[in-house]
Amino acid sequence: MSHRIYLLPPWLRIWHWTNAALMIVLAVTGASLHFADPGLYLVPFSLAAKFHDIAGVALLVAYGFFVLANIVTGNWWQYVPKPPGVFARCWKQIVFYGWGIFRGAPHPYPPTKEANFNALQAIVYWVIMYLVVPTVILTGVVFLFPDLAPAKVFGLDGLLPVAMLHYLSGAAVILFMLAHIYLGTTGVRPTSLFKMMITGWHEE
Amino acid sequence: MRSASPSLFAAFALALFAAALGAANAADVKGAAPTDPALIEKIRTSNAECYACHTEAGLKNPPRADMDLAALAKTIHDPKQFDGSNHTGMECKICHGQGYVAFPHAPEAKKAISECGECHATKALRVETQFKDSVHAKNLADKFTCQTCHDPHVYKVAVKVGDPRKIVAQDNAMCVDCHNSDLRYASFSAVLPTKKVRPDLYATHDFLPNARLHWSAVRCIECHTPMSPVKSLATSHEILGKDKAEKACLTCHSQDSALATRLYRFSAANVGTDLGFANASVLGSAYVVGATRHPLIDRAVIALFGLTVAGLLGHGAVRIVMAFFRRRRTS
Repeated sequence: MSHRIYLLPPWLRIWHWTNAALMIVLAVTGASLHFADPGLYLVPFSLAAKFHDIAGVALLVAYGFFVLANIVTGNWWQYVPKPPGVFARCWKQIVFYGWGIFRGAPHPYPPTKEANFNALQAIVYWVIMYLVVPTVILTGVVFLFPDLAPAKVFGLDGLLPVAMLHYLSGAAVILFMLAHIYLGTTGVRPTSLFKMMITGWHEE
Repeated sequence: MRSASPSLFAAFALALFAAALGAANAADVKGAAPTDPALIEKIRTSNAECYACHTEAGLKNPPRADMDLAALAKTIHDPKQFDGSNHTGMECKICHGQGYVAFPHAPEAKKAISECGECHATKALRVETQFKDSVHAKNLADKFTCQTCHDPHVYKVAVKVGDPRKIVAQDNAMCVDCHNSDLRYASFSAVLPTKKVRPDLYATHDFLPNARLHWSAVRCIECHTPMSPVKSLATSHEILGKDKAEKACLTCHSQDSALATRLYRFSAANVGTDLGFANASVLGSAYVVGATRHPLIDRAVIALFGLTVAGLLGHGAVRIVMAFFRRRRTS
């Protein structure tokens, strides 16, 4: 018989899917803009520029909500990897994904109400949500208001380092997103974790 | 007949002398400003006579009491600006002619002002063929001269300006002087059979994201002139109206950016090292999405994306296969 625990409050789920939708729009339009080429059949440039701006501002708002809600509800604590043995637990998690999962071994650290995330998850989520995403958002804001960028950096346009940071941090978010979506299939059934993100109930 | 001969001879000799003098100074115009100190001093003294009246200072303190100050106010120049222009080092009288030597100036002197083509013959020939197809020729053929856009006392060709931002500022000022001024626009459109109201620039460019930024970074003519099939040729004078103007973002926003052969065609030397960037000459003064990118970094990012997708799909495939075998073993 499966065991169910209620893990995810509505605000978190709504934010998660809003964030997901915006990230997908930003990834597709961002790639259309950066790799712009007559032979690239993604979103037409002017449309991509428009949607990227709108979705970018929406992401900023969603992120602001995420940070505030985390502070208010205390959910931020979930992102902090708790010593001792953080790296040992991370390693155990990596070994599980690299080996145990193929043999049908159980998840080494199933989520509980007190600890939603395993140590590896907490570290990666923290890095993505509190380092990489703010970087992509802040550089995006500078892109929206290029006057904020320094005029020149080492004789080149000051927007160049901002643009590179935006591009590379954006690419990092996309790579995370791919892995994140894939790891969503590692529940008791491939669909269980996706269901959890909709209903809030985790199934074991 | 007898009395006419000496005066004819004198006129002929004067014409020869004037032509020789003109040719000598015109030769200077073609190249750099004159370097001979005696000639420089001669030109300076000659121009100082004109500047005595035709400057802000001259207008404030006119050297004579019998001057039409209202008329003078319309013909004042900034010597500093002139010295920064293409025509720096030229004597005013080269273009303005002998009719302006004495005061009051000869009544017909204005008509004798040299046409640009008198010196710039080859260029004029090319420009005229381009201009006759332009939207300006279509609507304002007779009213439109070189000087409508290019003030010869101020204008400097792009290659001499160098800094792309300064080229943009100078060249766009020529367009917006009319296209952003109801007064000047109306003075030109008055000759049209049906009066034309000046279209609002923001409204006509509403398809352009961040129009203001574009206007400070590129010239109007990047889109409003056709691409020359010969990339080394100068910018075309066939100004295109909104129907024919470039609207495809990718013309500039791609690796094969037209900016490299247009606004930035003189800028390659501005960047010490290209750091491997595509359109590196542009990077000296602008980051252009889609154009100024690094092919190696791009390849690395695409490879990382491909490896991640392949790795995840591979991981999933192994999970499926292993789960299949596990099920078979248990059953």
